[in-house]
Amino acid sequence: MKIKLAKFGEILTSREAGREAALAIKAYQKPAEGEIVELDFEDVLAVGPSWLGEVLAALIAEYGKSRVVCLPSENRSVIESLNILKAEIS
Amino acid sequence: MKTDTRLRIRQIVEDRGPQRPAELVKALGISAQALHRQLKLMVEQGTLIVQGKPPRTMYALAGVADFSRAFEWLDKKTLRENPKDTVCETRDVLTARLSPLKNLTKQGLSPEDLPLLISTVGEIGNNSFDHNLGQWRDVPGCWMEVQVTGNRLWVCLADRGQGIYGSLSKTNKGIKSDQTAIETAFEKFVSGRAPEKRGNGLKYVKNTILGDADRGIACISGSGVVQYGNWGSDCESVLKKKFVTVRGTVTLMVWRLG
Repeated sequence: MKIKLAKFGEILTSREAGREAALAIKAYQKPAEGEIVELDFEDVLAVGPSWLGEVLAALIAEYGKSRVVCLPSENRSVIESLNILKAEIS
Repeated sequence: MKTDTRLRIRQIVEDRGPQRPAELVKALGISAQALHRQLKLMVEQGTLIVQGKPPRTMYALAGVADFSRAFEWLDKKTLRENPKDTVCETRDVLTARLSPLKNLTKQGLSPEDLPLLISTVGEIGNNSFDHNLGQWRDVPGCWMEVQVTGNRLWVCLADRGQGIYGSLSKTNKGIKSDQTAIETAFEKFVSGRAPEKRGNGLKYVKNTILGDADRGIACISGSGVVQYGNWGSDCESVLKKKFVTVRGTVTLMVWRLG
Protein backbone atom coordinates (compact mmCIF):
# COMPACT_ATOMS: atom_id res chain seq x y z
CA MET A 1 0.00 0.00 0.00
CA LYS A 2 1.43 3.32 -1.06
CA ILE A 3 0.79 6.41 1.07
CA LYS A 4 1.29 9.70 -0.74
CA LEU A 5 2.63 12.00 1.95
CA ALA A 6 2.04 15.10 -0.19
CA LYS A 7 -1.64 14.65 0.70
CA PHE A 8 -0.70 15.88 4.18
CA GLY A 9 0.91 19.04 2.78
CA GLU A 10 3.96 20.01 0.79
CA ILE A 11 5.79 21.17 3.94
CA LEU A 12 5.87 18.61 6.74
CA THR A 13 7.73 19.92 9.75
CA SER A 14 6.15 19.78 13.19
CA ARG A 15 5.78 16.85 15.57
CA GLU A 16 2.23 17.85 16.25
CA ALA A 17 1.34 17.64 12.56
CA GLY A 18 3.28 14.38 12.25
CA ARG A 19 1.29 12.85 15.09
CA GLU A 20 -1.98 13.90 13.48
CA ALA A 21 -0.87 12.50 10.13
CA ALA A 22 0.07 9.19 11.74
CA LEU A 23 -3.30 8.89 13.43
CA ALA A 24 -5.08 9.66 10.16
CA ILE A 25 -3.02 7.08 8.27
CA LYS A 26 -3.71 4.42 10.86
CA ALA A 27 -7.42 5.23 10.90
CA TYR A 28 -8.13 5.49 7.20
CA GLN A 29 -5.47 3.56 5.33
CA LYS A 30 -5.51 -0.05 6.39
CA PRO A 31 -3.04 -2.36 4.67
CA ALA A 32 -3.95 -5.97 4.04
CA GLU A 33 -2.33 -8.47 6.37
CA GLY A 34 1.37 -8.66 5.67
CA GLU A 35 1.18 -5.88 3.06
CA ILE A 36 4.08 -3.43 2.90
CA VAL A 37 3.30 0.20 3.79
CA GLU A 38 5.24 2.43 1.39
CA LEU A 39 5.73 6.11 2.18
CA ASP A 40 5.92 8.11 -1.05
CA PHE A 41 7.59 11.54 -0.84
CA GLU A 42 6.76 12.63 -4.39
CA ASP A 43 5.56 16.28 -4.49
CA VAL A 44 6.66 16.88 -0.90
CA LEU A 45 8.69 20.08 -0.83
CA ALA A 46 10.26 19.75 2.62
CA VAL A 47 10.10 17.34 5.51
CA GLY A 48 11.76 17.57 8.92
CA PRO A 49 12.81 14.78 11.26
CA SER A 50 10.23 15.81 13.85
CA TRP A 51 7.31 15.19 11.48
CA LEU A 52 8.80 12.10 9.89
CA GLY A 53 9.90 10.65 13.24
CA GLU A 54 6.35 10.80 14.58
CA VAL A 55 4.92 9.13 11.46
CA LEU A 56 7.53 6.39 11.30
CA ALA A 57 7.35 5.64 15.02
CA ALA A 58 3.57 5.27 14.91
CA LEU A 59 3.52 3.12 11.76
CA ILE A 60 6.38 0.90 12.91
CA ALA A 61 4.65 0.37 16.26
CA GLU A 62 1.47 -0.62 14.40
CA TYR A 63 2.84 -2.72 11.54
CA GLY A 64 6.41 -3.59 12.48
CA LYS A 65 9.67 -2.27 11.07
CA SER A 66 9.83 -4.75 8.21
CA ARG A 67 6.49 -3.61 6.77
CA VAL A 68 7.18 0.16 6.73
CA VAL A 69 9.30 1.36 3.82
CA CYS A 70 10.33 4.86 2.75
CA LEU A 71 10.44 5.01 -1.04
CA PRO A 72 13.62 6.53 -2.50
CA SER A 73 13.61 10.30 -2.88
CA GLU A 74 16.09 12.85 -4.18
CA ASN A 75 14.69 15.50 -1.86
CA ARG A 76 17.59 16.35 0.43
CA SER A 77 15.37 17.07 3.41
CA VAL A 78 14.01 13.52 3.12
CA ILE A 79 17.51 12.04 2.86
CA GLU A 80 18.90 14.05 5.78
CA SER A 81 15.84 13.45 7.96
CA LEU A 82 16.11 9.70 7.41
CA ASN A 83 19.83 9.87 8.20
CA ILE A 84 19.20 11.53 11.55
CA LEU A 85 16.33 9.14 12.33
CA LYS A 86 18.32 5.99 11.57
CA ALA A 87 19.36 5.46 15.18
CA GLU A 88 15.82 6.04 16.38
CA ILE A 89 14.30 3.63 13.87
CA SER A 90 16.83 0.82 14.30
CA MET B 1 49.27 52.79 4.73
CA LYS B 2 46.27 52.59 2.36
CA THR B 3 45.52 49.07 3.58
CA ASP B 4 45.62 50.45 7.10
CA THR B 5 43.10 53.13 6.13
CA ARG B 6 40.80 50.50 4.66
CA LEU B 7 41.03 48.46 7.85
CA ARG B 8 40.15 51.55 9.87
CA ILE B 9 37.19 52.31 7.59
CA ARG B 10 35.95 48.74 7.97
CA GLN B 11 36.31 48.92 11.75
CA ILE B 12 34.40 52.19 11.99
CA VAL B 13 31.54 50.92 9.80
CA GLU B 14 31.45 47.68 11.75
CA ASP B 15 31.33 49.46 15.11
CA ARG B 16 29.04 52.37 14.24
CA GLY B 17 26.91 50.98 11.40
CA PRO B 18 26.44 52.59 7.96
CA GLN B 19 28.44 55.83 7.62
CA ARG B 20 28.28 58.93 5.46
CA PRO B 21 31.53 60.00 3.76
CA ALA B 22 31.59 63.17 5.85
CA GLU B 23 31.49 61.13 9.04
CA LEU B 24 34.36 58.97 7.83
CA VAL B 25 36.44 62.00 6.81
CA LYS B 26 36.00 63.37 10.32
CA ALA B 27 36.75 60.07 12.04
CA LEU B 28 39.83 59.30 9.95
CA GLY B 29 41.27 62.79 9.56
CA ILE B 30 41.93 62.34 5.83
CA SER B 31 40.81 64.34 2.80
CA ALA B 32 37.50 63.65 1.07
CA GLN B 33 39.38 62.73 -2.13
CA ALA B 34 41.55 60.22 -0.33
CA LEU B 35 38.52 58.73 1.39
CA HIS B 36 36.57 58.34 -1.86
CA ARG B 37 39.49 56.55 -3.48
CA GLN B 38 39.43 54.02 -0.63
CA LEU B 39 35.64 53.71 -0.61
CA LYS B 40 35.56 53.06 -4.36
CA LEU B 41 38.14 50.32 -3.97
CA MET B 42 36.31 48.75 -1.02
CA VAL B 43 33.03 48.70 -2.98
CA GLU B 44 34.80 47.10 -5.95
CA GLN B 45 36.33 44.49 -3.64
CA GLY B 46 32.89 43.70 -2.20
CA THR B 47 33.78 44.81 1.33
CA LEU B 48 31.32 47.72 1.39
CA ILE B 49 27.99 48.42 -0.27
CA VAL B 50 26.51 51.81 -1.12
CA GLN B 51 23.16 52.64 0.45
CA GLY B 52 20.93 55.51 -0.68
CA LYS B 53 21.59 58.21 -3.26
CA PRO B 54 23.57 61.46 -3.09
CA PRO B 55 23.55 63.59 -1.03
CA ARG B 56 22.52 60.94 1.53
CA THR B 57 24.83 58.17 0.39
CA MET B 58 25.98 55.83 3.15
CA TYR B 59 28.51 53.04 3.15
CA ALA B 60 27.68 49.79 4.94
CA LEU B 61 29.45 46.48 5.32
CA ALA B 62 28.51 44.11 2.52
CA GLY B 63 26.83 40.87 3.43
CA VAL B 64 25.94 41.89 6.97
CA ALA B 65 22.34 41.65 8.03
CA ASP B 66 20.52 44.06 10.32
CA PHE B 67 18.19 42.33 12.74
CA SER B 68 17.92 45.21 15.19
CA ARG B 69 14.10 44.98 15.28
CA ALA B 70 14.28 41.34 16.32
CA PHE B 71 16.91 42.07 18.93
CA GLU B 72 14.91 44.98 20.40
CA TRP B 73 11.82 42.75 20.59
CA LEU B 74 13.78 40.02 22.33
CA ASP B 75 15.52 42.41 24.70
CA LYS B 76 12.45 44.31 25.94
CA LYS B 77 11.81 43.65 29.63
CA THR B 78 8.09 43.28 29.11
CA LEU B 79 5.84 43.28 26.08
CA ARG B 80 2.07 43.43 25.75
CA GLU B 81 1.77 42.68 22.07
CA ASN B 82 3.76 41.43 19.12
CA PRO B 83 4.44 43.03 15.76
CA LYS B 84 2.24 40.99 13.44
CA ASP B 85 4.53 41.06 10.41
CA THR B 86 7.41 39.16 11.95
CA VAL B 87 6.12 37.23 14.96
CA CYS B 88 4.28 33.94 14.48
CA GLU B 89 2.10 33.76 17.58
CA THR B 90 0.95 30.23 16.86
CA ARG B 91 2.43 27.20 15.18
CA ASP B 92 -0.11 27.48 12.38
CA VAL B 93 1.15 30.94 11.48
CA LEU B 94 4.74 29.69 11.48
CA THR B 95 3.78 26.83 9.16
CA ALA B 96 1.97 29.23 6.84
CA ARG B 97 5.04 31.48 6.68
CA LEU B 98 7.31 28.64 5.61
CA SER B 99 5.63 28.36 2.22
CA PRO B 100 6.66 31.84 0.93
CA LEU B 101 10.30 30.82 1.45
CA LYS B 102 9.89 29.10 -1.92
CA ASN B 103 10.31 32.53 -3.53
CA LEU B 104 13.93 32.64 -2.32
CA THR B 105 14.92 30.52 -5.32
CA LYS B 106 14.22 33.65 -7.41
CA GLN B 107 16.89 35.41 -5.35
CA GLY B 108 19.49 32.73 -5.92
CA LEU B 109 18.81 29.97 -3.37
CA SER B 110 19.46 26.69 -5.15
CA PRO B 111 16.38 24.45 -5.62
CA GLU B 112 18.32 21.63 -3.93
CA ASP B 113 18.87 23.78 -0.84
CA LEU B 114 15.26 24.95 -0.58
CA PRO B 115 13.90 21.80 1.16
CA LEU B 116 16.79 21.93 3.64
CA LEU B 117 16.27 25.62 4.37
CA ILE B 118 12.51 25.21 4.91
CA SER B 119 12.91 22.15 7.10
CA THR B 120 15.62 23.71 9.27
CA VAL B 121 13.58 26.89 9.77
CA GLY B 122 10.61 24.68 10.59
CA GLU B 123 12.56 22.64 13.13
CA ILE B 124 13.94 25.71 14.93
CA GLY B 125 10.64 27.58 14.84
CA ASN B 126 8.60 24.63 16.04
CA ASN B 127 10.99 24.21 18.97
CA SER B 128 9.79 27.59 20.23
CA PHE B 129 6.28 26.19 20.53
CA ASP B 130 7.26 22.68 21.67
CA HIS B 131 9.24 23.97 24.62
CA ASN B 132 7.47 27.15 25.62
CA LEU B 133 3.76 26.41 25.61
CA GLY B 134 2.60 27.86 28.93
CA GLN B 135 6.16 29.08 29.62
CA TRP B 136 6.36 32.36 27.68
CA ARG B 137 7.76 35.35 29.57
CA ASP B 138 4.84 37.43 28.34
CA VAL B 139 3.87 37.45 24.65
CA PRO B 140 3.77 34.08 22.88
CA GLY B 141 5.40 33.31 19.59
CA CYS B 142 8.42 33.00 17.43
CA TRP B 143 10.10 35.87 15.57
CA MET B 144 10.93 34.82 12.02
CA GLU B 145 12.70 37.20 9.67
CA VAL B 146 14.58 36.65 6.43
CA GLN B 147 17.08 39.09 4.93
CA VAL B 148 19.19 38.94 1.80
CA THR B 149 22.47 40.81 1.66
CA GLY B 150 24.67 40.35 -1.37
CA ASN B 151 25.11 36.63 -1.90
CA ARG B 152 23.92 35.69 1.57
CA LEU B 153 20.55 34.66 2.92
CA TRP B 154 20.03 35.26 6.64
CA VAL B 155 17.24 33.83 8.79
CA CYS B 156 16.66 35.00 12.35
CA LEU B 157 14.40 33.06 14.71
CA ALA B 158 13.84 34.11 18.30
CA ASP B 159 11.45 33.60 21.18
CA ARG B 160 10.73 35.11 24.57
CA GLY B 161 10.47 31.70 26.19
CA GLN B 162 12.15 29.86 29.04
CA GLY B 163 15.39 29.26 27.16
CA ILE B 164 17.14 25.98 26.44
CA TYR B 165 18.47 25.55 29.99
CA GLY B 166 14.98 26.14 31.41
CA SER B 167 13.63 23.40 29.18
CA LEU B 168 16.38 20.77 29.36
CA SER B 169 17.40 21.11 33.00
CA LYS B 170 13.98 20.02 34.26
CA THR B 171 14.38 16.51 32.90
CA ASN B 172 18.17 16.24 32.58
CA LYS B 173 19.59 16.83 36.05
CA GLY B 174 23.17 16.69 34.81
CA ILE B 175 22.72 19.94 32.92
CA LYS B 176 23.94 22.68 35.21
CA SER B 177 24.55 25.69 32.97
CA ASP B 178 23.27 27.54 29.93
CA GLN B 179 26.40 26.52 28.02
CA THR B 180 26.01 22.81 28.76
CA ALA B 181 22.33 23.04 27.88
CA ILE B 182 22.83 24.66 24.49
CA GLU B 183 25.69 22.31 23.53
CA THR B 184 23.59 19.33 24.59
CA ALA B 185 20.62 20.57 22.58
CA PHE B 186 22.66 20.75 19.37
CA GLU B 187 24.87 17.73 19.89
CA LYS B 188 23.11 15.05 21.93
CA PHE B 189 19.84 13.19 21.55
CA VAL B 190 18.02 14.49 24.60
CA SER B 191 14.86 16.51 24.99
CA GLY B 192 13.22 18.70 27.58
CA ARG B 193 9.99 16.82 26.93
CA ALA B 194 10.86 13.41 28.35
CA PRO B 195 9.39 10.82 28.39
CA GLU B 196 8.44 11.77 24.82
CA LYS B 197 10.97 10.47 22.33
CA ARG B 198 12.33 13.69 20.90
CA GLY B 199 15.52 15.62 20.57
CA ASN B 200 16.74 15.23 17.01
CA GLY B 201 15.59 18.53 15.49
CA LEU B 202 18.60 20.68 16.36
CA LYS B 203 21.02 17.86 15.50
CA TYR B 204 19.39 17.81 12.06
CA VAL B 205 19.82 21.59 11.82
CA LYS B 206 23.49 21.35 12.82
CA ASN B 207 24.18 18.53 10.33
CA THR B 208 22.48 20.47 7.56
CA ILE B 209 24.57 23.55 8.23
CA LEU B 210 27.76 21.47 8.32
CA GLY B 211 26.73 19.82 5.04
CA ASP B 212 27.96 22.74 2.95
CA ALA B 213 31.01 24.97 3.29
CA ASP B 214 29.01 28.16 2.74
CA ARG B 215 26.57 28.00 5.60
CA GLY B 216 26.61 28.96 9.24
CA ILE B 217 24.52 29.14 12.37
CA ALA B 218 24.84 30.68 15.82
CA CYS B 219 22.47 30.40 18.75
CA ILE B 220 22.38 32.16 22.11
CA SER B 221 20.17 31.11 25.00
CA GLY B 222 20.79 32.51 28.46
CA SER B 223 24.57 32.91 28.56
CA GLY B 224 25.12 29.82 26.40
CA VAL B 225 26.45 30.26 22.87
CA VAL B 226 27.15 27.83 20.04
CA GLN B 227 28.09 28.35 16.44
CA TYR B 228 28.62 25.84 13.63
CA GLY B 229 29.71 25.97 10.02
CA ASN B 230 32.27 28.07 8.20
CA TRP B 231 30.02 31.13 8.40
CA GLY B 232 28.95 30.46 11.98
CA SER B 233 31.36 33.06 13.35
CA ASP B 234 29.70 35.70 11.13
CA CYS B 235 26.35 34.82 12.69
CA GLU B 236 27.84 34.86 16.17
CA SER B 237 29.41 38.28 15.66
CA VAL B 238 26.04 39.70 14.52
CA LEU B 239 24.37 38.30 17.65
CA LYS B 240 27.19 39.19 20.02
CA LYS B 241 27.08 42.84 18.99
CA LYS B 242 23.76 43.01 20.78
CA PHE B 243 23.70 40.21 23.32
CA VAL B 244 25.83 38.79 26.07
CA THR B 245 22.89 36.91 27.49
CA VAL B 246 19.44 36.29 26.08
CA ARG B 247 16.23 35.72 28.00
CA GLY B 248 14.74 33.13 25.69
CA THR B 249 16.54 31.94 22.59
CA VAL B 250 17.82 33.58 19.42
CA THR B 251 19.18 31.74 16.38
CA LEU B 252 20.74 33.19 13.25
CA MET B 253 21.46 31.12 10.13
CA VAL B 254 23.23 32.16 6.95
CA TRP B 255 23.13 30.37 3.56
CA ARG B 256 24.89 31.13 0.30
CA LEU B 257 22.83 32.41 -2.61
CA GLY B 258 23.82 31.89 -6.22
